Amino acid sequence: MFDASIKKRQASRPWGQWSLRAVALIYLSAMLLLPLAAVVSDGLSGGIQGLWQDISRPAAMAALRLSLWTAAVMTGINTVMGVLAAYVLVRYRFPGKAFLNALIDVPFAIPTLVTGLMLVVLYGPQTAIGGFLDRRLGIDIIFAPPGIILALLFVSFPFVVRTVQPVLTEIDLDQEDAAATLGASSWTTFRRVLLPALAPAVISGALLSFARALGEFGSIIVVAGNFPLRSQTAAVYVLSQIESDNQRGASAMSVVLLAMAFTLVFVVDFIQRRQERRNA
Amino acid sequence: MREPKGWVPKLLIGIAVLYLAVLILLPVLAIFQGAFAQGAAVFFESLNDPQVIAAFWLSIQLAIAAVVINTIFGTTVAWVLVRQEFFGRAFFNALVDLPFVVSPVITGYMVILLFGRQGWFAPLVKATDTQIAFAVPGMLLVTVFVSLPFVIREVMPVLREIGHEPEQAAHTLGASSWRTFVRVTMPGIRWGLLYGISLTLARALGEFGGVLVAGGAVTGKTETATLYIFAALDERQYISAYAVAVVLALFSFTVLIGMEILRKRTEITQ
Amino acid sequence: MCKLSPADSKGPGESRSRLKEGAAAIFLLVTAIVLFACGPQASSPTTPPTGMANKTTIILGAYTTPREAYGKLIPLFQHQWKDKTGQDVEFQESYLGSGAQSRAVVGGFEADLVALSLEADVNRIGDAGLITHDWKSKGAGGMVSNSIVVFAVREGNPKNIKDWKDLTRQGLEILTPDPASSGGAQWNVMAAWGAAKRGFVDGYAPEDDNAARQFLKDVFKNVTVLDKGARESIINFEMGVGDVAITYENEVLVAHRAGQKYDYVIPRSTILIENPIAVVDSNVDRHGTREVAEAFRDFLLTPEAQTVFAEYGLRSIDTTVAKRTQAQYPPVQDLFLIEDVGGWKTVTSTFFGPDGIFTKLLEQVQAEK
Repeated sequence: MFDASIKKRQASRPWGQWSLRAVALIYLSAMLLLPLAAVVSDGLSGGIQGLWQDISRPAAMAALRLSLWTAAVMTGINTVMGVLAAYVLVRYRFPGKAFLNALIDVPFAIPTLVTGLMLVVLYGPQTAIGGFLDRRLGIDIIFAPPGIILALLFVSFPFVVRTVQPVLTEIDLDQEDAAATLGASSWTTFRRVLLPALAPAVISGALLSFARALGEFGSIIVVAGNFPLRSQTAAVYVLSQIESDNQRGASAMSVVLLAMAFTLVFVVDFIQRRQERRNA
Repeated sequence: MREPKGWVPKLLIGIAVLYLAVLILLPVLAIFQGAFAQGAAVFFESLNDPQVIAAFWLSIQLAIAAVVINTIFGTTVAWVLVRQEFFGRAFFNALVDLPFVVSPVITGYMVILLFGRQGWFAPLVKATDTQIAFAVPGMLLVTVFVSLPFVIREVMPVLREIGHEPEQAAHTLGASSWRTFVRVTMPGIRWGLLYGISLTLARALGEFGGVLVAGGAVTGKTETATLYIFAALDERQYISAYAVAVVLALFSFTVLIGMEILRKRTEITQ
Repeated sequence: MCKLSPADSKGPGESRSRLKEGAAAIFLLVTAIVLFACGPQASSPTTPPTGMANKTTIILGAYTTPREAYGKLIPLFQHQWKDKTGQDVEFQESYLGSGAQSRAVVGGFEADLVALSLEADVNRIGDAGLITHDWKSKGAGGMVSNSIVVFAVREGNPKNIKDWKDLTRQGLEILTPDPASSGGAQWNVMAAWGAAKRGFVDGYAPEDDNAARQFLKDVFKNVTVLDKGARESIINFEMGVGDVAITYENEVLVAHRAGQKYDYVIPRSTILIENPIAVVDSNVDRHGTREVAEAFRDFLLTPEAQTVFAEYGLRSIDTTVAKRTQAQYPPVQDLFLIEDVGGWKTVTSTFFGPDGIFTKLLEQVQAEK
């Protein structure tokens, strides 16, 4: 895409190009890099050792572990259901499809705090469903890990669906049909034809929903019990450290979360660029 | 696209419908039911409260300001990232996605670290006698940060697809850069841009964790609609909390769906 | 997350009129948005110092519990002030956990007046150099209201909770807020500690730190939710979580006013909660609001305001008001003060610091689960 003509054009009108680039890069640096630098330098003010000391406190470790495993469970469910929903929406015609498609955007529209609120209204111990689950089956949803997972499933549902959908649209039905005519079962067709083509999109979507879930706050603060070491997630831990004057602890956890987010974002970027090159 | 034949497709559709119904539709219905539990009159009454209106107004101001800033700079960033080649382009390109995955709490915390009493810019803040942390400007920074990627990410693929030939052609024909942008680039990207704007708007209106940390949730000063909901729960004003939640969700949802419909319609008519 | 929506694109081959139309529409939209947004944005935030203008604003940073009381007190004061000076006072209120509120003020939240749960949280603001006067010389040693630590239980007390000892019963679910952010939570911990040390918890040796520590541990084994503030904690209790909530007496009484129907139990031995109030010197001087902020503080100490506090469940610091409202506030067999368990100056670090007794204990409780 960056052929000689662009370079020539840049050379012929350098000032406009340069100033636009300067505006863009200064904006990104001021808005993204500067605040990141503030957190990272605060988190590392005691050196790597200090960071490790702050992060290895039992409450910090437990919060991190809780965030990681709930996000992982969510990502597993979300990936399967997201691919399924995308497939159904792209391949089949059925009544209520437009409505279903619109429903997928709902988590983008609903503030995460409201998500948490909705789950408490629906599954709280005083409600019909929550009360039934609690008394009859002994399952707690709100103020327990299932509530956290439900909230994460809700807020990150669109990620996989919306990354897979466009790719699926582009894959020819003929390929699937051809495989089917050649006697492949639908499962084999799915595994051998669809999955390889979808893999990059599915992985990107899954990783992004995982990364998104690690930082989720608004819905969690409502549905989790905030008990340190038991039901306090990493993001809520950061807030509790800010509020209890342990700035180093807050910064240390922030640095760890940011590092994970950074890594995931760059992995996704790498996958997508490789895919684009292959398509080109 | 085809009609579902046989039991496998039907089962798949069934699972998808059931999953979405339980995961998304049911909670939404529950909160609607909660908001209208005492009738429509109480619902509207609870919205017609000075504190609620002030909170909505602040949310709208912040969201619109974020939209303006991210539209102007976002379009510039998208254009530069697509049309120019320079050292570090890949890095900045990946960096744009970061706000999607940074916890809002950390976003708010960044504002405190930069502009709080002991922050990096504390001397500057003091010298100019402004207030950024625990005030509206800090909340604006948070809102711009969290909604930064949307315009860029929606405009970039469109710009890429158009290619640079039309812009180049306009230029060769003697159009100024500005004229080229307004007449050629802008019309090409407008749907991507509008979709990005609607996502920005929805995200900005729903921001909670970041504005809580950066703004301090002061009634009548730094209380947005989401922060009002949080406070109303504490005051046992359940109907009021649910009502504001319903209005916020409905508004964002209408914007998103409206965009989708508008886009489909234009695609068909052309 | 490059393509959240199926990327759409209009090719370059559109007609000229469409181009014009689209460009003009978008341009108008952006301009309109800029004008609309920049107008109010530019004129809104910072409060300019107001001398004796027609209107003044004071910012109140309070803890979560007295919310309803201030809801009634503020209009009363606004009327009085208007009658006296002809000036309108606007209030901006913030209610957070006491610790969180105090740290926000230290971090840069410009509250003119702080009404917190406990002295230590005011001291933190003083230590940061923001309160320079002797705030404890006002009111009853700087305090504006009192309360005690009680147990909220379900209607009819089905679990038959009578005293501290009952909280260690196996299988009981207890709510109490998080001492890291909530002042009420620290009062709760110190009340339990004091009751054990003073020999009011059967089965735990009096005057013995280890026994008291064991007692706290046995109680916290049963704690299921540790909320950020006392108010959040009691709200979750109302939503059906848990069997007992350790809380302020006034939380329960305010909930009763709001139509909630659950009971509460006063243990034989409990701590007297004393809530401080203080004007934040550096902020009132910056805003030019010293006069009105001090007037509001003094108003809160008048019998009139104290009666309102009593209506909203707080024990009055004014002896005549306390006497008049004593029917509502049963006496406690063994009521002790924070000074009896060491005073806030030592308690803050020895119990709630990073290596404090309580912090360590919480880690042990979880490790043994």
